[in-house]
Amino acid sequence: MEKKDIIQSFKDSLFTGLIALALFGPIVGLRTASKGEGLFITPQWGIVFLLVGLCILGRFLINLNSARKTEITFFSKFTSKFSAITEDKAKHFAITAILFAVVFPFLPFTDRYFMDVAIMILTYIMLGWGLNIVVGLAGLLDLGYVAFYAVGAYSYALIATTFGWSFWICLPLAGVFAAFFGILLGFPVLRLRGDYLAIVTLGFGEIIRIILINWYEVTNGPDGITGIPRPSFFGLPFKRSPDEGETSFHLFFNLEYSTMHRIIFLYYLILVLALITNYFTLKIRKLPVGRAWEALREDEIACKSLGVNPTNTKLTAFAIGAMFGGFAGSFFATRQAFISPESFTFIESAIIVAIVVLGGMGSQTGVVLASIFLIGITEMFRDLEQYRMIAFGGAMVLIMVFKPKGILANRKPTILMHGDKK
Amino acid sequence: MNNLLSVENLTMKFGGLTAIDDLSFDAKNNQITSIIGPNGAGKTTVFNCLTGFYKPTNGQMFLHKEDSKISLRKYTDFKIAYVAKVARTFQNIRLFPAMSVLENLLVAQHNELMVASGYSLFGLLNLKTYRDKEQLAVDKAKYWLDIIGLTHRADDNAGDLPYGDQRKLEIVRAMCIEPRLLCLDEPAAGLNPKESAELNKLLKFIKTEKQTGILLIEHDMSVVMGISDHVVVLNYGKKIFEGTADQTKNSKEVIEAYLGADE
Repeated sequence: MEKKDIIQSFKDSLFTGLIALALFGPIVGLRTASKGEGLFITPQWGIVFLLVGLCILGRFLINLNSARKTEITFFSKFTSKFSAITEDKAKHFAITAILFAVVFPFLPFTDRYFMDVAIMILTYIMLGWGLNIVVGLAGLLDLGYVAFYAVGAYSYALIATTFGWSFWICLPLAGVFAAFFGILLGFPVLRLRGDYLAIVTLGFGEIIRIILINWYEVTNGPDGITGIPRPSFFGLPFKRSPDEGETSFHLFFNLEYSTMHRIIFLYYLILVLALITNYFTLKIRKLPVGRAWEALREDEIACKSLGVNPTNTKLTAFAIGAMFGGFAGSFFATRQAFISPESFTFIESAIIVAIVVLGGMGSQTGVVLASIFLIGITEMFRDLEQYRMIAFGGAMVLIMVFKPKGILANRKPTILMHGDKK
Repeated sequence: MNNLLSVENLTMKFGGLTAIDDLSFDAKNNQITSIIGPNGAGKTTVFNCLTGFYKPTNGQMFLHKEDSKISLRKYTDFKIAYVAKVARTFQNIRLFPAMSVLENLLVAQHNELMVASGYSLFGLLNLKTYRDKEQLAVDKAKYWLDIIGLTHRADDNAGDLPYGDQRKLEIVRAMCIEPRLLCLDEPAAGLNPKESAELNKLLKFIKTEKQTGILLIEHDMSVVMGISDHVVVLNYGKKIFEGTADQTKNSKEVIEAYLGADE
């Protein structure tokens, strides 16, 4: 590398530091603390200089790396190797991953905390797979996906608490309701693309949340819905002491009562739901409607010139994506036993979109990796409390810097004429 | 020889600008009808009216079947291709670049496959009826790929093909919907002489073997004069000449429109 390049990148880094100073200075540097009466500003310049220094160093390293013209950093090497493995042995990789997921609850180090994190990651994987149909395949940027998650959760909660129907009846109903809302959103946005579509879907997500807050008679407003029934194991509830005339899970199987039974059951429930979503997506991608979705993403005008009906194609994408969001929503409701509009804020939509985009648009495996990476990292830094969002942002920046097209961005054709050459 | 398409008094206005002014012409079955004219003469606007992208201000367009005729004005958007069976290509190639060549040709057969897959239901159940239909669609795609010599690249992304091959692929993709009228918007743009010659061969094949009427917009005169049966010349949205290729070459009005008149 030439000396000129180094000086250039050094200048660039200093400029980055200047921007960082302008940002961190007031935000981090000036801390308000209440002492006695009134607020006082306590400056904390040490941490500001640390952060600015980190920014300068980071920028300098990135510059050095790109000046070399070849990516030789550890991270990109690792990920490209990883994509090579997942490409060549896609089937083996998937089977290994599923096997691991199946035995996970019985591994020696697995405790309650791990199970909860795993359930959360699986929920995001399922949501990511559902949104992948809309964003990854059909190319419709939907920033209000959480609305369908909310519709699913509230449909389940309302039906289950009002009529007392079982989880297995409410689940498909919640899916149908969510799909209906998907079509409802689909109609007004049919003509929109790109930024405009993103804005309208964002608004739709907020509309649903605000309705949930304000329609007090039905949704119980900000207080949320409590006492949502837990799912049962084919009619066997997970209770220590079952009601009269009922047998509970641990009595039926002659086991010691443990709260873990229910957690493990929930884990398998979301695993199966997620795998169904994945299977369905992989199948439908190879059908005419799936190919039409991708064609629509590539070029809508060309689609019209070939006689593909864009209205129906978009609406099916919205409806099916929303349906899986609804399934995930009812799972969320039954797991929490309590839902309120607070669980369905914009940040949820943003996380799901981030998972899909960072995973590599349209890549099913990418969604899994991005979910584990983003949710896992955020969980690992839980002790840092509010600062853990920095870890979340940092993870996103890392992926964007080293893998701008997403972790796994390789698309495989849905049908081959010459068969698999490998 | 029967008329395939009649355009009657077609007028298209954008605000104060008249892009097409009272244009009438016919295109016949199994013939290549070329529309030529200087830049901005309104050629692509004619195509956009015919293929439902614009709604003409005035005038009629009819597609003749054996003993009936259908008005193209009634169909908009995707129905032009789906119901009226008018296919088109674009001036700037519009393939699905991130999809494979074969997938591009299968999307063109979307509507038949959609019915065959029972609107996805049979397809999800993986029924044999659907698999057979899909195989037929693949065979049809292979037939066209053999003709343009791209079978060995069927599984590559369409966007990775060389420019000339993309042009040809776009034409055969339009042929996969089995159109009665094929509208080609500058298919020879950016092709070298060898590729232009191949294109001529392909268009002649489509005309004679597939009994499809072709409407062609083109600037490359080697293509226009080599294969057109009939030439319509536009200037400023008006038809200034109509006749065979030889007549057009020698027409005073056409030469004036292209090169300017002597003062």
